[in-house]
Amino acid sequence: MNLLTARVPWLARAVQSRDFVPLIMLAFTALLVVAPLMMILLATLTPDGQAAWQAVTNSPLSRNLWWRPLGNTVILGLGVTIGSVLLGGFLAWLIVLTDVPMRRFLAVMSILPFMTPSFASALAWATLFRNERIGGQAGYLASNGIPVPDWLAWGLVPTLIVLIAQFYSLAYTLIAASLSSVSGDLVESAEMAGAKRGRILFGIVLPIVTPALISGGMLAFAGAVSNFAAPALLGAPVRMQTLSTRIYGMVQTGNIERGYVLALLLMIAAAALLYFSDRFVSGRRAFVTVTGKGTRTKRFTLGRWRWPLFAFATAIGVITTIVPIVVLFASSMAPRPGVLFSNWTLHYWIGQGGTQIAEGQAGIFRNPHLIDGIFTTIRLGLTVAGCAMLVGLMIAYTIVRYKASPYTRVLSQLSFVPLFIPSIAMAAAYIAMYGTSFGPIPALYGTFILIAMAATANLMPYAVQSGRGVLSQLSADLEESARLTGAGPMRRMMEIIVPLAIRGIMAGGLLVFVKIVRDLSLVVLLFSASTPLLSMIAFQYASQGFMQFANAVTLLILVLCLLASFLAHLLQNRVQKWKKT
Amino acid sequence: MKHHLKMTLSGVLLGAAALVAAPTQAQDFDTMTAEELLPYALEEGKVTILSLSSRIAQIKTSFEEKYPGIEVEAVHLNSTRQIARLQAEQRAGIYAVDVLYLSETPVVYRDLLPAGMVEAYIPERVKADVPEALRENLLTHRLSTRALMYNEAAHPDGSPISNLWQLTMPEWRSRVLIDDPTQRGETLDLLVEIALQADAMAEAYEAQFGKAIEVDRDLEGAGEQFIRDLFNNDVVMINDTQTLRSAVGIISEGSKPVGFMTYSSSRNNERDGMALQISNETVPGAGILFPTVLALSKNAPHPAAARLMIDYLMGDDSPTGGTGFEPFAVQGDYAARRTIVDHPDAIPFEDLNLWLIDPERTGQARQRILDLVITLQ
Repeated sequence: MNLLTARVPWLARAVQSRDFVPLIMLAFTALLVVAPLMMILLATLTPDGQAAWQAVTNSPLSRNLWWRPLGNTVILGLGVTIGSVLLGGFLAWLIVLTDVPMRRFLAVMSILPFMTPSFASALAWATLFRNERIGGQAGYLASNGIPVPDWLAWGLVPTLIVLIAQFYSLAYTLIAASLSSVSGDLVESAEMAGAKRGRILFGIVLPIVTPALISGGMLAFAGAVSNFAAPALLGAPVRMQTLSTRIYGMVQTGNIERGYVLALLLMIAAAALLYFSDRFVSGRRAFVTVTGKGTRTKRFTLGRWRWPLFAFATAIGVITTIVPIVVLFASSMAPRPGVLFSNWTLHYWIGQGGTQIAEGQAGIFRNPHLIDGIFTTIRLGLTVAGCAMLVGLMIAYTIVRYKASPYTRVLSQLSFVPLFIPSIAMAAAYIAMYGTSFGPIPALYGTFILIAMAATANLMPYAVQSGRGVLSQLSADLEESARLTGAGPMRRMMEIIVPLAIRGIMAGGLLVFVKIVRDLSLVVLLFSASTPLLSMIAFQYASQGFMQFANAVTLLILVLCLLASFLAHLLQNRVQKWKKT
Repeated sequence: MKHHLKMTLSGVLLGAAALVAAPTQAQDFDTMTAEELLPYALEEGKVTILSLSSRIAQIKTSFEEKYPGIEVEAVHLNSTRQIARLQAEQRAGIYAVDVLYLSETPVVYRDLLPAGMVEAYIPERVKADVPEALRENLLTHRLSTRALMYNEAAHPDGSPISNLWQLTMPEWRSRVLIDDPTQRGETLDLLVEIALQADAMAEAYEAQFGKAIEVDRDLEGAGEQFIRDLFNNDVVMINDTQTLRSAVGIISEGSKPVGFMTYSSSRNNERDGMALQISNETVPGAGILFPTVLALSKNAPHPAAARLMIDYLMGDDSPTGGTGFEPFAVQGDYAARRTIVDHPDAIPFEDLNLWLIDPERTGQARQRILDLVITLQ
């Protein structure tokens, strides 16, 4: 490489240019993200596609197909963002920076909601708040004589609450990672200078973690906007549609072009929003807090607020975590749907086949595919998490270090886009593009590589955003010193950046892992081997009407996610040994 | 040649011993019996089927038992995903699938069949047993339903709805349940059929209200007027099948709504403490029958084994259809082969008061009705 650049002057200039790295990463992102996006765009330029543009944007349908769902989507997106950042930020502060009791317990509680599928939370809500609008079994409140108005039982309000209850843990994960690298020295200096506690929080801590707040907020926004289960279950009875339920519906009823048009418009709307938040972040000074010295965290003392705040945090955890999990658990044990807390049986877990129960279906642990499914799921989860972390780290690093390059902003925008591409479109585009040989790339149809690629592209935003929050706190001096002593880029990455940013990287990896092991629509289209994934097994049970089995498998997936989070925790503690006091 | 190379390559990548059969043979395969197909199928060694039913896992076991040496790769995918996957694959020149078992026939007949992406195969031996309407293009395997259901415990004297138009009256305001037709193809097809049955709906209107119907100027026929009136009568949409079932069917105090769902949702009544029953006496019709079809994929990599699989799925000559059909015999679904007897607890096929949809016609009208429903939401 050095030899080559020495002989070819323009190449040397190009390599040394501030745009070189951003351009390389941009090309890479183009391959993963822009290409499928182009396929979707092209599909909307056919005659059918043009009719779809017309129907969505300029016809009597526009109001119900685009504008009203857009309104609901924006309300949900912004509401969930604000709610998640406030709640997640509060918990992160409490757990990372204060001496609240039982921090580890609270930390586990705070990451759980993201691992609980939103249909479980929606189901839990309906179990409690269901009113007479849909007939049948009344919810717990209604059957105890407390009337529940429609607005509280169905529609925007419950959807908003259910989604905040899920996505605050996303914000928590990122903000906690960022807070953990706020140096105790900074806080101590401020205390010595006589700053009050509130002053320290808002004057020092908050500015430092702003990038993480924004990242967490953006992911919560994207998560809320693209969530399907909660609005579909809680919104339908009062005819509330969001863009995600519309996109899903259009694809389901054979109007795929309309689905694509809606998805593209949603991406444009989200990109505009992102553009402004990006400007907001880059308009501020980035605060470098990780300088290589021991960054032991200094904890605030809460005094008499210790236990009340602990109780408050526990209450949030119980409501958002334990309740949905209990409902999920109960519905894996209750023989009658709708009557969740009586006649419990373990049949759906371990029962023998051929009995009167469940049309002779045996419990899930007797399903011959289950063990295979567990291992395939873990393999897929780890592969995709690994790939996404690698790609995400490189992109995040580029975004943070090459701020000056105009290409960086494009890169930052592009790396966020996949969250808004409907999975079915993403999968179809990947089959069409990389299924056959394409230039130097061999045909990847039916291979594990194709799934890993598509999933990496799809989930990259999680890795990028979580890497970014932590990397922007990292001092460039450290790298500079290493470079002066002759360390190459790989070595600098492995020995300086990765260990210091490990918490953010692991947080991103965990998010990706959780997303991919729960995902269905992306994987199912690309997966052809006959060993199913756990999410596919759950879907198989559900589609036969065996909800108990499906919920049991869903709980199993939750356990896998929990194990993964413990593993991530262990790993980051091993790497960051200096934090042990 | 390049084309063949590509097929072979993707076949190898799939781990299959890909054998590209000469096209002339495929012609002959159509007229062969199962015994005649077998040696060719054994040579191919494998068959890939996409199935909307997860019960295909049982078929894999029994087929491999009956025809050792032919491996079955069974992929459980809903109809929409099958269509998306087949289109994406074939546009990329990949021919990896042999057989599709799917519904959503209005889309299949609109997007796949005219483009030649799927083709029909009807084994000679079953032709006489399948009514002609069920094998005009693709071969129907079984018929499923979307019908008006009521709570038998709350209405022991029979359905409270004798005429569909009653659903648009104040008495049933907010008490008719349906899953969102803009999310579910089958439910949309139910409304499409009601729209297409404009004359019957006009007649039923007159029978109910004693005067001729006046149709809004922007609508075509009494069926579309019914859809508008139904939505204006605050029909309640529920997207979760279980919730929909129990909302209508659960045995408890109080009045119960009625709802449109699959007739087979009544099959677990006893287990679930429910009393769902089809409102079969409702005029002019209680709902629709729609086909689930078997199709060959274009350039199927294992053409003989593919036909053998379809032949197997159509069942043997016994009243249950044997191991090839039994997994799909569900109370409330009906076999296309009329030699296979209907479930003893279900209303016999001949007595059903349901409209059989014509996928092509439904496909043409679907967009218009979807748009109507969208404006009504």
